[in-house]
Amino acid sequence: MTALLSIENYHLDIPTFDGTLKVLDGINLSLAQGETLGIVGESGCGKTVLARSILGIGPQRARRTNGRMTFDSMPLDELDEAEWRRIRGVKISMIFQDPMTYLNPLLTVGRQLSDVLVAHARALGRPALSRQERRRRCNELLEQVQIRDPERVEASYPHQLSGGMRQRILIAMALAGEPKLLIADEPTTALDVTIQAQILDLLRDLVDRLGLTVVMISHDVGAIAAIAQRVAVMYAGVVVEQGATNDILTRPRHPYTQGLLAALPDIEGDHQSLEAIPGTIPNLIHPPSGCRFHPRCPRATTICTSEKPAMTSIGADHVVACHHALD
Amino acid sequence: MSSPVTTPSTKPNTIGDPILSATGLTKVFVSGGKEFRAVDDVSLSVNAGDVLGIVGESGSGKSTVARLVMRLIEPTAGRIMFEGGDLTAKSGEELRRMRRHMQIVFQNPHSALDPRHTIHSALAEPFLIQSKLRGIELERGIDALLDIVSLPKAFKYRYPHELSGGQKQRICIARAVALEPRLLVLDEPTSALDVSVQAQIITFLQELRQRLNLTYLFISHNLAVVRHICDHVIVMNQGKVLEHGTTEAVFAHPQNDYTRQLIDSVPRLPRLAG
Repeated sequence: MTALLSIENYHLDIPTFDGTLKVLDGINLSLAQGETLGIVGESGCGKTVLARSILGIGPQRARRTNGRMTFDSMPLDELDEAEWRRIRGVKISMIFQDPMTYLNPLLTVGRQLSDVLVAHARALGRPALSRQERRRRCNELLEQVQIRDPERVEASYPHQLSGGMRQRILIAMALAGEPKLLIADEPTTALDVTIQAQILDLLRDLVDRLGLTVVMISHDVGAIAAIAQRVAVMYAGVVVEQGATNDILTRPRHPYTQGLLAALPDIEGDHQSLEAIPGTIPNLIHPPSGCRFHPRCPRATTICTSEKPAMTSIGADHVVACHHALD
Repeated sequence: MSSPVTTPSTKPNTIGDPILSATGLTKVFVSGGKEFRAVDDVSLSVNAGDVLGIVGESGSGKSTVARLVMRLIEPTAGRIMFEGGDLTAKSGEELRRMRRHMQIVFQNPHSALDPRHTIHSALAEPFLIQSKLRGIELERGIDALLDIVSLPKAFKYRYPHELSGGQKQRICIARAVALEPRLLVLDEPTSALDVSVQAQIITFLQELRQRLNLTYLFISHNLAVVRHICDHVIVMNQGKVLEHGTTEAVFAHPQNDYTRQLIDSVPRLPRLAG
């Protein structure tokens, strides 16, 4: 199967006043049509920068220093703005953590949704939709995200709707261009746990029904486990382990993955003591030499300080970048 | 902690006695002429040495309860008893004296510390306000606090922006335990932190409770964390208490439909092998 999205040896730097942040350090990921990939990692690990780079909306000063991204056999790094407009929000769309930030408080939901349709038609050089057509399409989109009374919602302003509703509307907007790839950046983090469950259900349903390919980014391993078939674990700008969700969560092979899982309190109530990972995340201006996790790693030896571990395959669809992977 | 930091507590805590109790606690906010019952007839009691958790979703009133029992905001109705004294009836100097025995730690350590004050002055503040400790003794007090939260003494000379989130939260906790309180109200103390740091802070809080014989009122929306750290738990929704009991009972056999839904909504992870 050819990959819908492939990221090869991707390096990204962000120059800052204090020095250059080496934000992404050789990312390799590939995603087949219809697949759901979860990217999990703690704050500052580069997961959001990576997601935004896929859409060409990374930080303005960010510089790709090596590697490439290919989507649907198009080299994403070589597109110009006009070409981007035909892809961004249309072929690849994105939803974000805080839906309120991405909705205009002064316009009704119906108006904003219909603006998206107008923009897509313009970007693709299609004739503008008539008022009725737009209306019909808006209703359709809202029904797709399981909103039962689209008419009322279209007439509402964002502040009149709950957080869960707003996230549904953002998802509807993201679906407006019939995208092939949906990037969801912490889509449930700002939501209460009962609403989170509903949104995760909806995303799962969309994957099944529309054959949508999804990259979901989260620091919440639970939310990732709920939808992703495959998981990539990121630490300090590096993918340290990647594989089928169940494998990664039941048999983590990288010490960081293992540490992350051991740090999670369990709702099922095993009163095991939590194991914290000692130390803090490194400063990416001067990232640790060799393996970026070595200063915090219980298994680190001298080789870890000098040599960057290569991604090694350790089973069917399971790769890990570690000199001393766990058994 | 037998340090020269403060005068020893007057009353030893007997395990099992309620250190804090509230009855009929109600808070009505008025906005635009409309009344909103943020907290509606809430009663609770925390035994000395226990950890009582309050869980609920946003808007359930759990943080308002935290602020009410600290008397940071005034209750519309209800009574709060702290160590046998009626907190709701106290004011002025008397209230100030009681307050040193109860402290609060907030959710966001990034906004709880004044960016223009060094860690030294942040840690000195409780002593300057509530005790007569000055000079070399004050320095010793501050060093002792940094010891308690396992941070190097050199942190005194730093500013909050030079610290990580977890380190800042440790400073906030150090400040809160400076006056040897008997009750610590923790309002979402780990919600702004990453999981690996959250584990550090939780483990540290559990250890600290043993060491300083503390009682916690632990507010959180994270059910897994509450299950991990609390002995008893209260489930709140829309200002009301829906269910309370031992953590074990509430999580294993929830009686209320909402509680059950809340617990079921948390995504489960497959078990680690071996």
